[in-house]
Amino acid sequence: MFGYYLDLALRSLRRHKVLGVLMMLAIALGIGASVTMLAVLHNLSGNPLPGRSDVLFHPQVDPRPADLPGASEEPPDDLAYADAVNLYRLGIAPRRTVMSANHLPTRRDAPDSPLAMYTDRATTADFFAMFGVPFLYGSAWSAQDDASHAQVVVLSRAMNQKLFGGGNSVGENLVIATKTFRVAGVIGDWNPQPRFYDIDDGAFAEPEQMYLPFFTWLDLPQDYGYGPMNCWGSDPDAGDHDPKAPTCTWAQFWVELDTPAQVDGYRSALAQYSRQQRQLGRFQRAPNVRLRGLLDWLDHKHVIPVTVRMQTWIAFGVLLICLVNTVGLMVAKFLRKSGEIGVRRALGASRRDVFAQCLVEAGVVGVAGGLLGLPLAWLGLWMVRQQPVSFAASAHLDPSMLGAALALAVAAALGAGLWPAWRASCIAPALQVKSL
Amino acid sequence: MRIHLQVRPILAALRSHRTAVALLVLEIALTMAVLGNLVFIVYGTIQRSHVPTGVVESDIGLIQSIGVIGESNPGTVAGNLATLRSAPGVADSAYGGLPLWWSNRKSLFLDPSLQHPAAQAYEFQGSQHLSTTLGMHVVRGRNFSDGDLPDVMDVFMKKTTAPLPALLTQALAQRLYPGGGALGRILYDGRYAFRVIGIVDHLRGEITGRADDDEALLVEYRVGAQDMGGGYLVRSRPGQLPQALKAAAAALQKANPGHVENKVLTMAELRENYFRSDLAAGRMLVAIMLILLVVTALGVSGLASFWVQQRRRQIGMRRALGATRRDILLYFQAENFLIVSGGVLLGVAFAYGLNLFLMHRFELAHLPVHYLVAGAIALWLLGQLAVLGPALRAAAVPPVVATRSV
Repeated sequence: MFGYYLDLALRSLRRHKVLGVLMMLAIALGIGASVTMLAVLHNLSGNPLPGRSDVLFHPQVDPRPADLPGASEEPPDDLAYADAVNLYRLGIAPRRTVMSANHLPTRRDAPDSPLAMYTDRATTADFFAMFGVPFLYGSAWSAQDDASHAQVVVLSRAMNQKLFGGGNSVGENLVIATKTFRVAGVIGDWNPQPRFYDIDDGAFAEPEQMYLPFFTWLDLPQDYGYGPMNCWGSDPDAGDHDPKAPTCTWAQFWVELDTPAQVDGYRSALAQYSRQQRQLGRFQRAPNVRLRGLLDWLDHKHVIPVTVRMQTWIAFGVLLICLVNTVGLMVAKFLRKSGEIGVRRALGASRRDVFAQCLVEAGVVGVAGGLLGLPLAWLGLWMVRQQPVSFAASAHLDPSMLGAALALAVAAALGAGLWPAWRASCIAPALQVKSL
Repeated sequence: MRIHLQVRPILAALRSHRTAVALLVLEIALTMAVLGNLVFIVYGTIQRSHVPTGVVESDIGLIQSIGVIGESNPGTVAGNLATLRSAPGVADSAYGGLPLWWSNRKSLFLDPSLQHPAAQAYEFQGSQHLSTTLGMHVVRGRNFSDGDLPDVMDVFMKKTTAPLPALLTQALAQRLYPGGGALGRILYDGRYAFRVIGIVDHLRGEITGRADDDEALLVEYRVGAQDMGGGYLVRSRPGQLPQALKAAAAALQKANPGHVENKVLTMAELRENYFRSDLAAGRMLVAIMLILLVVTALGVSGLASFWVQQRRRQIGMRRALGATRRDILLYFQAENFLIVSGGVLLGVAFAYGLNLFLMHRFELAHLPVHYLVAGAIALWLLGQLAVLGPALRAAAVPPVVATRSV
């Protein structure tokens, strides 16, 4: 029966070509617009590190004074210097990393190499293994290098390209903030989006150009900011020239915990640490700690830009309008066939049969509209990628989105066809046959 | 035949297509709601991107010169300002903050107890000549004079207790002293005290669209033999900015081998960067609007051509009974006008509903009425255009059709 209905649907569409094409175009445009925005949203809210995201956790403690006006219940996102160092030394997580970012004057250790500012991430050895950073040349520095404040640096592919023409630069020297650093490794393309490990400057910022050992970085003769700071108390600028200011938080901290037992253990260790700091008089508040997994953390921080959320709403508004449009055209089309339907009914077809026949026709329109909508969505995403905004570069259609787009198109067309088909199936056969 | 005589038969005919007409009205209403709000958002963004900052933007350039700590550097701030000023095409120079690039947003207090902030304002700090480099228009009081200025080190080390002379924008003066008489008054930001010496017309720290963008305060200090990195501002002679900025940047770098010039930008480039993502989002919305218009036009002309096909025989009869082609054309155009009008009326309600939702969720402002009027006119035109093809086809139906059986 389905084959027969399909044949009928194709015949009917062929008979009213213009109307059929208009319906398909309307659905295609609606699908194109909404799938474009859905794909952008899907990329932005996607998992930045598939496979590793469920073992990475973001610890928070609360060093703020007890009576801070307007303070929320949530502890600060970042750690103060003392907590960053203490938690780093706690050493009960299999891996942990403490970090921040700024920019530093850097040049090759060669006579005529020009000095320029490069963005850097100050972090610790586990960063690369924890976050699955691929290496082109060389390797990460060691925990021993962290402990001995070694002057080593890991370059991004782009910076290696710029300074060393893309060759193997391991063992070469750079002068960073007047000190000499040896290149330990060069990483490959690595750009998790959202940039979960540090969202202080927006969740879709570019990765830094080079990586330095955190404690070496703190020793440098430098005053180029220590990453975005949040300070409380009477002097909001307390941390401007002093990263160790006790009233300022700025260091990001992540741990890797492989089993639920480790997670529970770490959570109670954070509470225990807070209690101990309170006894020592550093903390004033009762233990107020958080230990969110990577995806929970992104969820909690609402990283998706508000313009994208608004555009998604609007794109679905467009889809709705396209569907209303399609419903209108289908009602007209099915009613046009009243005579035909009357004859079928008179010859013994049940209402169900007529309903099914009309729905198949709607489905054909939906599939065609969806197929036409996919290249439109692809075009839309190409347009999004041309936009000079930080999150645009990652906009693409992956296979799962492709399937979802097609399913959406068919569901939309079937949804749009339901009511017109039902109305068509209600046609009284006698009246129609009489008027023939 | 006069058009108003046709309204009654048109309505009668539409009654037998109630469902399709209702859906078309709904579609037009939804289109109008979305379109009205989108035009409002996009137009707001475009308007915002043209709001002036109050400085002579066409002639101002920025050189961000960062001092490398640990590196010896012979240059001094005062020397650097003189170097910049002697570069060809440069009219004035200063060290300090610039709109859309760097200014502190501070709470201001009227009494030294710092209990109740009277305003939030953008605080611009910089060297001597900052206000003339930016091209401030002093409308009341006076500009800074050399004798006024406190020494930069006294300011940075908080050694000075005397209030710093400051310029206020009119908007900030109005906010702090609604009764007037701002000149000579003292105010506080928690770190410094300020004495108002003059009022300037405009100085916007940022352009967010909020009313307090234009509430700003400008302070100058005297710089000398210190080695300071940061923002060096250049004001060129009119129309000479590109060459002047290039020459100034080269001269500044030469005088400061221990500095890195991280950014050399004209104010126009700063503005472009500042609005880049907003305008990009605006372009996306324009694309969505175009799609919406196309879809609505498709719906209107689809249904109209369907009706024309369905009514060929009736059209033939009317023609046979003496109706001219023009009458037929007018009939379909009037029908379309009536349907679109129905959609527009419903659309006004929908547009306000959507606007309320957007206001609630995305802090959009209230939708002004003229956007709805414009939307209605756009939809009327769109409807007439979309129906023109089918209506012309209808008008071309020969009277002889009436004599054929279907």
